[in-house]
Amino acid sequence: MKDGLFSVTPAFLTVWRRNAQVFMALLKFNILPALAEPLLYIFVFGLGIGSYINDIEGVPYIEFVAAGILGSAAIMQATFECTYGSFFRMSIQGTFEGIISTPVSATEVGLGEIAWGATRGFVNASLVLLVLLFIGVLHHWQVLFIPFLMFVAAFNFAAVAVLVTSRIAQMEYFRFYFAGFILPAQFMCGTFFPISRFPEAVQLLAWAIPFTSFIDIARSMMLDRPAAALLPEAVWVLASTLIFTELAVRSMYRRLVR
Amino acid sequence: MIIEARSLHKRFHDVVAVESIDFDVVPGRCYGLVGPNGAGKTTTMKMVYCIVTPTSGELTVFGMDVRQSPREIKARLGVVPQDNNLDPDLTVCQNLLTHASYFGLPREVANRRSDELLAFMHLSDRARARVPDISGGMRRRLVLARSLMNDPELLILDEPTTGLDPQVRHLIWDRLLELKERGITLLITTHYMDEAQKLCDEVLIMDEARAVDVGSPAQLIRKHVPPYVMELRTDRKSASDIRQRFGQLEHQVSGQNLYFYGDTPGLFDEVIAALPEAQRILRPASLEDVFLKLTGREIKH
Repeated sequence: MKDGLFSVTPAFLTVWRRNAQVFMALLKFNILPALAEPLLYIFVFGLGIGSYINDIEGVPYIEFVAAGILGSAAIMQATFECTYGSFFRMSIQGTFEGIISTPVSATEVGLGEIAWGATRGFVNASLVLLVLLFIGVLHHWQVLFIPFLMFVAAFNFAAVAVLVTSRIAQMEYFRFYFAGFILPAQFMCGTFFPISRFPEAVQLLAWAIPFTSFIDIARSMMLDRPAAALLPEAVWVLASTLIFTELAVRSMYRRLVR
Repeated sequence: MIIEARSLHKRFHDVVAVESIDFDVVPGRCYGLVGPNGAGKTTTMKMVYCIVTPTSGELTVFGMDVRQSPREIKARLGVVPQDNNLDPDLTVCQNLLTHASYFGLPREVANRRSDELLAFMHLSDRARARVPDISGGMRRRLVLARSLMNDPELLILDEPTTGLDPQVRHLIWDRLLELKERGITLLITTHYMDEAQKLCDEVLIMDEARAVDVGSPAQLIRKHVPPYVMELRTDRKSASDIRQRFGQLEHQVSGQNLYFYGDTPGLFDEVIAALPEAQRILRPASLEDVFLKLTGREIKH
């Protein structure tokens, strides 16, 4: 059990803390650019496209799309952090090899990276939530729990990203990952329009991606209405997060300890 | 025994990196691994600090199996890797404190040790500088300071002075000898035979994944080469003339250099008399001569 989640000790938090320290040292480069995309979406979908669209599922378009913008902000940040960011630390900067030469294990490096990617998603989602509150799109108190839901969503995507990172030989392979999975997930999971527009087979495919459930639950909190099927969705997002995390830390162990 | 390796083997897919190596490292000594690039030195070291897993054979460090107890082993050793893997986004001091956190050192202990080690490595005045703003020699010293944060019993150094200027090399040598005096065991790889000769009590010569010979530098020199070397630097044509005239002496050719070996300096009198214009040095045999003999061209008679 030396290479799975059962082998992990709290030492993974030192990896998280190392990344947090670098994040704070480069704060101004990290916060504003990361917020540019969600802010642009709010502007484009709220004022631009939104003004041509009648109510969608009974609410103004900006209120419908808010959950999608917030969710995208979380998963995109986690994905960038744990693809290009982790790969850079792993293969170019030699950071991971330095860390595993200490008592910290390769599995703890994997989990620390995932936890850090989730944290960045959480920070981004929280900032977007503040903006949405400020412009008066949100009306219900339970939205304050959404950043925590988005922490799990970001954790899920960070785990998949670390799994991919631990498998590829050069950064260019991330282009396949972004074009083949991340961009479709960002647009096809009920983010910007209801997936009921799709043929049934495509809808099933969309539900298979946990992001659809994260968006659905977040939207149900924002609009104060029931989720499509809260219990199965919650089970699926938690189970898939756990499975991908286990696969990612195992794969990272195999990558780092040869 | 600090390290014990028996029939140690490492294969990466179909490439054999280390083949059937045995060695023992005694506490408080400096043990050197020398050999050409690709000989398997770094892989051997990485097995000792548990980031490469042996394919077969036994390897214990501090009496513990590297496969069973990597965390316990790594807690007691320090590593200076071949490439400086410092955090470029952090300051000199933050690099040390972050490293200390991986060992779970309490904050006040880490602060005290980082101050001490920065002074030890002559870096105190650069504590707040960022890594890209300090020189290559300072970065190497910082990596050495970092490896000492956990007060290790065994220090592993992979080519500690490659590419450094003579002042920094001497500073690092002084520090390593001082650490050895304090009882820290050193395991070192190097391409510089003067470095191995200066620092190491025992040297393992590796070539093509195998151990070629082992012993103290003096033993290895006595065993493999005569005590005196006459080194001639000349052009290709004169070199072949000289070889024709003095071919009866034990010698070796390396590019435009000719090396004559002998038991007494008097053996070279004829060479000296015949070739006043050639650039020549008469010197005692060194570990480099052993290295070239064992891993390079054989001495021809």
